[in-house]
Amino acid sequence: MQYGFYVNQTRCTGCFTCVVACRDWHDVPAGPVSWIRVKTIEKGIYPDLFVAFLPVTCYHCRQPACIPACPVGAIAKRDEDGIVVVDSETCLGADCQLCLEACPYDAPQFGPEEDALMQKCDLCVDRWAEGKKPVCVDSCPTWALDAGPLDELREKYGDVKNAEGFVYSADLAPSVTFKPKQDAKGLVNQKISTSPQHHTGI
Amino acid sequence: MADAHVVHHVQAFHRLLCQFGGYTAPWGFISNEGLAFAAGTTYGTPPVAYVHDASPRAEAYPKARLIVMWSWNPIDTQQGTRTPFSLIRAKEGGTRFISVEPRYTDSAAVLADQWIPIRPGTDVAALIAMAYVIIKENLHDQHFIDTYTSGFDQFRDYVFGLEDGVAKTPEWAADITGIAAATITDLAREYASTKPAILEAGYAAGRTAFGEQFHRAIAVLEAITGNARILSGKRSVSRALRRILQIPSPPNPVEMGAPPRWNALPYRSATVNSSARVNVNLFVDAILKGKAGGYPADYKFLWLSNNNYLNQLSDVNKAVEAFRKLEFVLVTEQFMTATARFADIVLPVCTFLERNDFRCPKAIEPLGESKSQLQICEALASKLGIPDYNDKSDEEWVEFMMTKLSEEVNKTSAAPAKESEIAELKLLPTPSGKVEIYSQLIAEMQHPLIPSIPKYIETWESLNDSLANKYPLQLITPHLKRRAHSQFDNLPWLRDLATQTVSINTLDAKLRGIRYGDMVRIFNDRGEVIIPARVTERIMPGVVALPQGAWYSPDENGIDQGGCANVLTKNVTSPAGAFPSHTALVQVKKAQN
Repeated sequence: MQYGFYVNQTRCTGCFTCVVACRDWHDVPAGPVSWIRVKTIEKGIYPDLFVAFLPVTCYHCRQPACIPACPVGAIAKRDEDGIVVVDSETCLGADCQLCLEACPYDAPQFGPEEDALMQKCDLCVDRWAEGKKPVCVDSCPTWALDAGPLDELREKYGDVKNAEGFVYSADLAPSVTFKPKQDAKGLVNQKISTSPQHHTGI
Repeated sequence: MADAHVVHHVQAFHRLLCQFGGYTAPWGFISNEGLAFAAGTTYGTPPVAYVHDASPRAEAYPKARLIVMWSWNPIDTQQGTRTPFSLIRAKEGGTRFISVEPRYTDSAAVLADQWIPIRPGTDVAALIAMAYVIIKENLHDQHFIDTYTSGFDQFRDYVFGLEDGVAKTPEWAADITGIAAATITDLAREYASTKPAILEAGYAAGRTAFGEQFHRAIAVLEAITGNARILSGKRSVSRALRRILQIPSPPNPVEMGAPPRWNALPYRSATVNSSARVNVNLFVDAILKGKAGGYPADYKFLWLSNNNYLNQLSDVNKAVEAFRKLEFVLVTEQFMTATARFADIVLPVCTFLERNDFRCPKAIEPLGESKSQLQICEALASKLGIPDYNDKSDEEWVEFMMTKLSEEVNKTSAAPAKESEIAELKLLPTPSGKVEIYSQLIAEMQHPLIPSIPKYIETWESLNDSLANKYPLQLITPHLKRRAHSQFDNLPWLRDLATQTVSINTLDAKLRGIRYGDMVRIFNDRGEVIIPARVTERIMPGVVALPQGAWYSPDENGIDQGGCANVLTKNVTSPAGAFPSHTALVQVKKAQN
């Protein structure tokens, strides 16, 4: 069984509710760490513009790059649901960061402190245990997100591997399917920023 | 002033001050006085809260085939989440969206099929030119006009130039607004010929120099195309609630016998219409000028509660001067806001979680030395020698209001439901009983800058003003999604989400050698703010946007490092009393390190 995410990019308004709800649920303080971020993708030149938003998490890849990258085996993929979890006590911490280097989606997060240990999205394993979906899914005001067994998500929403601001890696096979926002005009002059901390939207 | 609840509310202070002998109270909506005036004169009704999240309007979106979002950015500014979701469902169902405003907002990004950038303060010119196209091409709804409106002929004469020799053509409006004439023509045709169409007018364009003209022009465009409607829904109940759920108070002695203001609106109470009140946006002007300036009194004492008005109303430096002139400034607050920093005494008010109120029981005891609004007033009353300020506990007040509410709800639910929105238009509380394109009320006011039919009037501090040589950029002060006005600006989780910056178009930035993230000075004769620049394609050249609500933080030279937009706005109102927060000229320069 592999769990994953569905992201309806056409519904994401960049409201950041998922970011705040995630930090609240997982007790993550303000600062550089956020288990979910929202990308703002801005394209075009005034007045011909295209803007999309994209929530970004750990995609709990079928072949995660972070696991072989970790020198001490602190990262594991759970058999029962494919959720990728980290054992912080084993993690070597901010001096190492090889998992972050390996991950194209910047999922591993390190705080500002010198001895910061890796933390990241765990698809709210604690909430599934209570029969609840991840807090980002439940908090989204436009029902832009869903999570669950990936096969079921693909059956329900289709199997779309790419979206604005996201590149699918066939090697890693991230567990996500999209309803992407279409830039019909194919505008250039692209700028991508990520919130929290590095937001450049209007 | 503002508090979401009813026992511990402004009414608690009001009762105390009325018992003490009276005080000058404010009048006017900071958010939408332009709309309040337009609704009161055009429909004879209070402004319908149709952009409220719980309004039936939200349900109507998916049924519309066209939604024009005119200076309306619901995705960032709407209270609640029902409206954005309803709009998204409309889009998914094929509704076409057009956004008209100077910024490519997040609402435009998510919803709009077309973005029409428009110069701030010129919205009425575009709307009048749309009316020209609609009438000229016979796209108006003559039956609706004949049945439900009055004054169409005078309006048509103005639009066609019979009144002043200037036909209000799309070409005429193009020069003013910066929108191509063909775009105005297309927009007019599309709006008039698409049914159902919703013209959703945000409050922003009403917060300009002649803001009431914007909402008047919107109302007229809706009327001549047969799109006018009054959405009542639960409005009558909720309005009644506001009256009932109040601690009763004796009349304010200073308002008794005072004549109504010249711009009194019939739907408002005599106290709100009283000339003993001061427009909320002019309270610092009243402090500085007093009776000599035509205000009701020479002021010595100011009491502000939970409103951060120093920060949130125009011309902060003038407000600072006014605060300093007073003998005593009292602020009741939960946080050390920009306003609280300029108080002589700050009384800490507990939050809604720390006292009992209507449908909001206490969760914890008040923290520190904080007290509830009612407790504060009780303590003051005993020192002021007012024996009968309060004879009820919080719980008894809640019970008192619950009883009155039950009575009202029983009365209201017994009344027959309105047949339809259109039926309501037949007997409006206007002098003619109809939608007044020509307003008799306005005609009686005889104000030279409030015409009886909606007209385009060029704003002060427009690009044609000689001041534009010195300050060539138009400043707008929109909302920022991570705050509610100035509320929550102190929360690290929310501050993290977006930086307080000034948005400037790439071309304007390049002319000034400004790159993304550079610290820049934004200034005019009223003050100066230093803040990072957000160089973007998403704003019209010639316009800069500094989101309102950041807390004023002056350095030793009085230069604001916090990014407070109202350091730069002008302390005046529109002729009818609107807060012109989007009418100001500024210059932007790269700050020297």
